[in-house]
Amino acid sequence: MAAGALERVTGTCMIGDAWFAERTVDAPPVARVDGREVDFAEAVEASAAILGEARLPLVCGLGQTDCESQRAAVALAERIGAVIDPAGPVVDGTVGAASQAIGLSTATFGELRDRAELVVAWRADPVASHPRLLPRLRLDRAGRATAGGDFDRTLVVIDVQRTATADEADAFIELPPELDFEALWSMRALVRGVPLDRDLAARLPLDGLGQLADRFRACGYGAVLPGPGLVASAAGYVNALALLALVRDLARIAHVVALPLRQDGNARGAEDVLAWQTGYPAAVSFARGHPRARPGEFSAAGVLERGETDAALIVGFDALRHLPPRAADNLRRIPTIVVDPRATETAAAARVAFATAAGGVHREGTAHRMDGVPVPLPAPLASARAGDEQVLAAIAARVAGAEGT
Amino acid sequence: MLRIAQGRVYDPANGVDGDVRDVCLNGGKVVEELPSHAPRIDARGMIVMPGGVDIHSHIAGPKVNAARKLAPEEHRADPLDRTAIMRSGTGGTVPSTFTTGYRYALLGYTTVVDAATPPLAARHTLAELRDTPIVDAAFLVLMGNNLPMFELIRDAGPDGAGPVTEAVAWWLEATGGYGVKLVNPGGVEMWKHGNRNVTSLDDEVEGLGVTPRRVLEAIATSVDELGLPHPVHVHCNNLGVAGNWRTTLDTLDTLQGRRAHLAHLQFHAYGGTPGKRPRSRAPELAEHLDAHPEHSADVGQVMFGPATTITADAPVSARLREITGGKWVNADLEAETGCGIVPFAYRERNYVHALQWAIGLELFLLSRDPWRVVLSTDHPNGGSFLSYPRLIRLLMDREFRNEQIDRVNQKAIRRTVLRDRLEREYTLGEIAIITRAGPARLLGLADKGHLGVGADADVTVYGEHEDREQMFATPRYVIKGGRVIVEDGELREAPAGDLLRVEADHDEAIERTLRPLFEEHYSVQFANYPVREPWLLEPARRIPARRDGSGR
Repeated sequence: MAAGALERVTGTCMIGDAWFAERTVDAPPVARVDGREVDFAEAVEASAAILGEARLPLVCGLGQTDCESQRAAVALAERIGAVIDPAGPVVDGTVGAASQAIGLSTATFGELRDRAELVVAWRADPVASHPRLLPRLRLDRAGRATAGGDFDRTLVVIDVQRTATADEADAFIELPPELDFEALWSMRALVRGVPLDRDLAARLPLDGLGQLADRFRACGYGAVLPGPGLVASAAGYVNALALLALVRDLARIAHVVALPLRQDGNARGAEDVLAWQTGYPAAVSFARGHPRARPGEFSAAGVLERGETDAALIVGFDALRHLPPRAADNLRRIPTIVVDPRATETAAAARVAFATAAGGVHREGTAHRMDGVPVPLPAPLASARAGDEQVLAAIAARVAGAEGT
Repeated sequence: MLRIAQGRVYDPANGVDGDVRDVCLNGGKVVEELPSHAPRIDARGMIVMPGGVDIHSHIAGPKVNAARKLAPEEHRADPLDRTAIMRSGTGGTVPSTFTTGYRYALLGYTTVVDAATPPLAARHTLAELRDTPIVDAAFLVLMGNNLPMFELIRDAGPDGAGPVTEAVAWWLEATGGYGVKLVNPGGVEMWKHGNRNVTSLDDEVEGLGVTPRRVLEAIATSVDELGLPHPVHVHCNNLGVAGNWRTTLDTLDTLQGRRAHLAHLQFHAYGGTPGKRPRSRAPELAEHLDAHPEHSADVGQVMFGPATTITADAPVSARLREITGGKWVNADLEAETGCGIVPFAYRERNYVHALQWAIGLELFLLSRDPWRVVLSTDHPNGGSFLSYPRLIRLLMDREFRNEQIDRVNQKAIRRTVLRDRLEREYTLGEIAIITRAGPARLLGLADKGHLGVGADADVTVYGEHEDREQMFATPRYVIKGGRVIVEDGELREAPAGDLLRVEADHDEAIERTLRPLFEEHYSVQFANYPVREPWLLEPARRIPARRDGSGR
């Protein structure tokens, strides 16, 4: 730290460095309306007006802000009768949605590090997406070698092609795209000893899958890390169900868990806060005054693609870049309010844009790691700006004032 | 200021049993007298009791939230609208946080203890309690499968618990917790070793040099040394297993001379042999408890209908999964505990379910000291807290109870003494004991559960009704901290409740012992582990421990 600014960030990975940089360089004006710099109160007023006039507002984003702001976002969404959806990367929601249907066997990172004898990355490439993960879990080659002593550890990668993670692994199983469901279902059969018609399964790497089933049978504690490739296609939800069903089967013959890798830093917090406040982890509509959840219908992408929403409040999410094209196009046609510490394309295009003090940089808060462990976010830098939570609370208070309640 | 005038007051802690008198409230407390012009509630013909105190419930934290995510069907069927004073939400057996607070208050309960929080997840529990309005809430911290603690216990030897005692106090301070919970000590750790378990108090926890008995002794000793207001709260080994009453007795024998509270005793009161049909051993356990004033229990009554089993006892959940074939969550929490969730339904015609229901009633009806055998359904494990009024009717109304007994599986009933038509009917005074005065005393909450001068102004006023279920389901007035929260069965306001946390001093030097153990076992840094965020810890009330034996 020098002169109230971060000079150097240590202990972070490349992704962490970029994360800090986005939140500390060239902070945009505190508040803008139609690109014009305004004072905070005017922007709050404009936001309340937009949301007050909207027939079905949308609140989305959330995966990159702290739990305290997520809590404020749900309160605001409820007050204005909005649809609220974390709407982060598809991987962040799909496994969670599938686990609502059948449940989930899971664990925190420390358990994987200290107990897992077998770890399977299924269409996950953490070396690229989560560079610190394998070393932290002592699952990289060096870590597996030195962790030794107590037990042997095996890393297996299943993916379309060799990845950086596959290069770290003991075994790699090449699985053609679009065959995840078949492979997972065949694994269920192999694990249960149900005979398979090898001709029908000709495109599957049955030998590799059979060996993998044997490895699970032989291990005391096994783990599966499903990655974004598993849920990227239209069959993503079904694939996620198949994976959880397989893990459930495996859990009867060994202690086996799944830990879905997520992208947004507090995607898990968004799911958790929504669940404790509404009973549902995602895609909630308050349009009728109480929470209703329909994952397809009330997803941010869904209501945008169908043109059902006429105003959007976006928290910490560069929606224009990350939503499906048709949803993004429709988002451009409606008034938007963006609350984000970063200068994003979505913020630049917004009717109202708040540039906030960032949680974990300028403001203290809490976040839930992707394994559910709540952690404190420190505030190494000072900032006079409001955080996401304060902006959302100010808008909610203004809306309440206008309603006279 | 508020005068609750001329109601029939049941305040067993102060020996008041249905006397017609005034209860005066001022400044959030019960006071001796008020000026005659003070606002008043005309409680003539009504029943006045302290606010309800739930000693064992599951309302907040990662386990409860995982259960919420499993229950979209229940939530869809039970939505709650936002109103001028209420946040919206959803109900069912695992309601959203706001709904949990409102519904407890509407039931006349003003204090609730969440019985099982993994210390690593304390921030999550605290954040949910912050969103659980009205009720004052406390949580118990899971310590029975904690690896650093195991090392301290192993090294402490059989005599002094020294570092264990300091560590217990440190953990309570670090989390904002109220008391200590042990769940299947040793067994949950063994679950992580290839899905195994412990089956007796002397099974060794593999590779760790401790046994369930050693853990029970060390932690119970530490809790007594610290003089914590609530004794160690034990979920015994072998929950749900036929023949487990011997383990329960063994646990009580081991803890003889030390204070202990057994959670949901009904689930630990089964005769028979493992794998075979259980039978009731409630009479033996009730008798044993009667003879040991240092021990207490909540019943964990099973109520027919939907439930959600939520437990740190993960191996139990795996067994339930095999029974239901339905949704199942398992969640291993590093170095500390596990978690299992299975949605469940108890059916009258099912032998085991009917037996469980009957054993709970036996425990209530055979126990001679209501102060030490108190009401719970282990919400939502044996059923929702919303079923308490029905349970109260089962205890108070013999005719109703016998009708219900005739409806359920008769083979199960024949394995109990309920067939002997236990005559007992609980009085209103006894109900006041098992639902407020008793739990408050067992928790060591001196300001709760009674209406003496200086008590918290938490009061529930019921309209007299022959149907006790109806009477207890819809209090006429609920007053919390002197404010009228419920009037004529409607919520009038929904202020925040307090966090109730213990204040137990510890020797700072214990951190030098704990730090290396943390670095070995956790994936979070030692410095980040204690909760310091004021918005999670306030508003709170500290209840002091009384070290050096002055606690009791």
